[in-house]
Amino acid sequence: ELRVMHSAAGVTTPTAAGDIPVSMVVSGPAGGVLGALAVARLAGFPEIITFDMGGTSTDVALCDGEPAYRTATEIDGMALHTPVVDVVTVGAGGGSIARLDAGGALVVGPESAGADPGPACYGRGTLPTVSDANLALGRLRAGHFLGGEMVLDEARAIDALSRLGDPVDVAAAVVEVVNVSMARALRAVSLQRGFDPARFTLVAFGGAGPLHACDLAASLGMPRVLVPRYPGVLSALGMVTAPESVERSRSALLVVKEEATGELTATADSLRRELAVAASAAGIDAASIAWSADARYQGQAHELRVAFEVPTPSSIAAAFEAAHDRQYGYRVDGRSVELVNLRLRFSAPLPPSPLVAVAAGEPARAPVAEPITVAGEPASRIEREALLTAHTFEGPAIVTQLDATTVVPRGWRGRVDTYLNLILEPAP
Amino acid sequence: MTTDLARLSVWNALLASVADEMGITLGRTGHSPNIRERRDYSCAVFDRDGATVAQAAHIPVHLGAMPEAVRAVAALAPWHPGDIAIVNDPYIGGTHLPDVSLVAPVFFGGELVAFLSNRAHHADIGGMAPGSMPVATELYQEGMIIPPLRLYDAGRLNEELFAIILRNVRTPEERRGDFAAQIGSIRTGERRLLDLFERYGADEVFERMADLQAYAERLTRAAIAAIPDGAYEAEDVLESPDGALIPIRARVTVEGSTITVDFTGSAPAQAASLNAVRAVTASAVSYCVRCLLPDDAPSNEGGFRPIRLVLPPNSIVNADPPHAVSAGNVETSQRIGDVVFRALAMALPGRIPAASSGSMNNFTFGGTRPDGSPFAYYETIPGGSGGGPAHRGESGIQTHMTNTANTPVEALETVFPIRVHRFDLRDDSGGAGLHAGGDGVVKEVEFLVDAGITVISERRQVQPYGLEGGSGARTGANSLVHPDGEVEPIPAKVERRIAAGTRVRIETPGGGGWGTPPEA
Repeated sequence: ELRVMHSAAGVTTPTAAGDIPVSMVVSGPAGGVLGALAVARLAGFPEIITFDMGGTSTDVALCDGEPAYRTATEIDGMALHTPVVDVVTVGAGGGSIARLDAGGALVVGPESAGADPGPACYGRGTLPTVSDANLALGRLRAGHFLGGEMVLDEARAIDALSRLGDPVDVAAAVVEVVNVSMARALRAVSLQRGFDPARFTLVAFGGAGPLHACDLAASLGMPRVLVPRYPGVLSALGMVTAPESVERSRSALLVVKEEATGELTATADSLRRELAVAASAAGIDAASIAWSADARYQGQAHELRVAFEVPTPSSIAAAFEAAHDRQYGYRVDGRSVELVNLRLRFSAPLPPSPLVAVAAGEPARAPVAEPITVAGEPASRIEREALLTAHTFEGPAIVTQLDATTVVPRGWRGRVDTYLNLILEPAP
Repeated sequence: MTTDLARLSVWNALLASVADEMGITLGRTGHSPNIRERRDYSCAVFDRDGATVAQAAHIPVHLGAMPEAVRAVAALAPWHPGDIAIVNDPYIGGTHLPDVSLVAPVFFGGELVAFLSNRAHHADIGGMAPGSMPVATELYQEGMIIPPLRLYDAGRLNEELFAIILRNVRTPEERRGDFAAQIGSIRTGERRLLDLFERYGADEVFERMADLQAYAERLTRAAIAAIPDGAYEAEDVLESPDGALIPIRARVTVEGSTITVDFTGSAPAQAASLNAVRAVTASAVSYCVRCLLPDDAPSNEGGFRPIRLVLPPNSIVNADPPHAVSAGNVETSQRIGDVVFRALAMALPGRIPAASSGSMNNFTFGGTRPDGSPFAYYETIPGGSGGGPAHRGESGIQTHMTNTANTPVEALETVFPIRVHRFDLRDDSGGAGLHAGGDGVVKEVEFLVDAGITVISERRQVQPYGLEGGSGARTGANSLVHPDGEVEPIPAKVERRIAAGTRVRIETPGGGGWGTPPEA
């Protein structure tokens, strides 16, 4: 049966999708966020920041247990007012070019070598990139990229880096600069949304995410990094774990107080009826219903999206005040709360999870594939395939697999959970 | 840990993020639409001598002016932990009265190690007209003047001072909320900066601050050195409320890696609010130079070092008290930018865009709601940006000295007793060219109650210029649409009482075109 992913992190029938095609924009990144949440929930860390670093840019989303949504987005200059998972593009990617500026500072990006000519180590370009720096430091392994299908040209990377100085120094500086500028962007994105990144788990995926995740987490004070078993195909995983769902909203500008009960109930009833029709048309059996609202203090112009069990004035006000306190650090007692939109979602039962637990075996220590040197110090290379449930290992280590390379710095410890996720944490 | 090569970029990011986060806090917790929506504020980090180290890229006209605020409050020393100074006096560290600055010392290990400052445009600071941007001749008419004073003394709010301020403004509750946001922003900056001192130690942070200033100086000198040596002159005009044209002249002299901008020949200070104080002129000039630098270059003291200013005494670009100055910050600053860019265009043909709309189209209004509560609001309305060597101008955008966003119509109508009938692009207002200028906008606002309005606008008589064969843009126009449908043109600078049901229509100038247009 064909199902279509929509941008609010659910799937629906082709017919229902065809009725509202706008609801499909950015459904790809939404899949990545859902995939990340699915694995992180199973791992026991539902509060995550996703970190999907590719060749030219990095996508980031903050999920405080649930995907965060925004109700307005812009695609190619067109404003869309439809709920989408809140994914932000920040910083640089593996192809970002390093250079010395007129003031003598090493800067990385925003120019990118992209895929063509690509980083120098891909064999065509000549300008030094983030990937070249990772290779020169031994963080990327020349013979273990794409599962060994593409051998990276180390000499060419060194040549490119030498344009800027001693290649090893330059490489270390490039990695440091890209990490710090990414940390700056990620902090700003989090704080603008009212989150302190320090209480989130960083879920790293995309080709380059796991290369930089531990450094980034350290500079943001984040307690851990999770690298899913298949970081390269996480978006696809997200799509098959999404429940069928439909959502509708009603604009209803009203002050949330007891006198508004009648109006609120009428709005809620009519929304529920509308959604029931849509759900039955889409063949969705509403196993769960979820109310939420966009609300604000009267006079504010930014709404918070809050969830509650039943749409009554007191439950909306209480949910809003708690959310405001959590996100902004204060509440204004006695100030009226204003409802802007009421939202309702019907979801079908979750599809059976494709993620299966794997029991622990022997031995407890992860097998080391190869002793290597990373940035001048001894480290281990570990094959991801060989990492099984309950295996542990210490940094510095490089975990190689077909779709990504993970850097585990000195002072970090890795373990494998029952779903074969890599959980990386600073050693106590 | 940090390698020598990475150090500048790493510290540039670390210190800039302190200023970033101060701005995020201010924008998120502000109460007035002018702060939370239009984001009319700036935040900066200073070394212990009061020289800028990092300034978030918020409002360019605050760029050179914020160091003046820190210098101005220096007289309040000795400092104690928990002190926060306040100032808005344009002649002592300010720009115009609605821009109120807070400045706080930061202590680490009992020692003064840095200063933090933010500056926010308050929607009303008293004076003769709601919104405090009146058609005035003297500073005293424009609002309450706050000399450098302690708003917090060792952590204790100076309640008497705060009471006087709130009693002299039209919307005290909103002001209270915006001041709370400014204070929260300072506290956020302090926490983030102290994190750095704790992690790296004071000596390291001091050295890195000096490094960043030297780095900004090198970047600026390199950009200036790329301009051919020589003297380049340009002139443009402001429009006096009585219709006379007020010249601004600049002679830009480039010698190696230094640049001198001499405004000799510019008009004397006026009996109007168009006067710029020295800090505003310094901001405008450093903004023009800043535009020649890469995006990520730090904005700090080092960037000012290669720039010399020659300002005729008591002139339109360097007024003496008690001249009125509210529009100097918003309008004259734009024209100073236009003049300096025009001179630079001679030095750097093929690099400088044509003139942008050249006016912030300042619209302020206020009155009393049916329930008796007061309201006051200030906004700037965008125009078109000039076409450039590589691209056409943007339409409906703020340019040069202001970076403010548009307030959403929904937010305006929710907070104020107004209805916005039109907010759309003004077709064909951009100048023709190989790369045409962007269009201005038309905004038409109906008042649902009787209200006082003030419009301060420019480029209603003289077009924004085109460059390298491009045409000038269309000038702007202002009018009232009375309930009976009669359209009454109103002056570029006007203060009026209007009756409920009247609409104010503001048509803003486009940007000039760049390059000879292809044959039709």
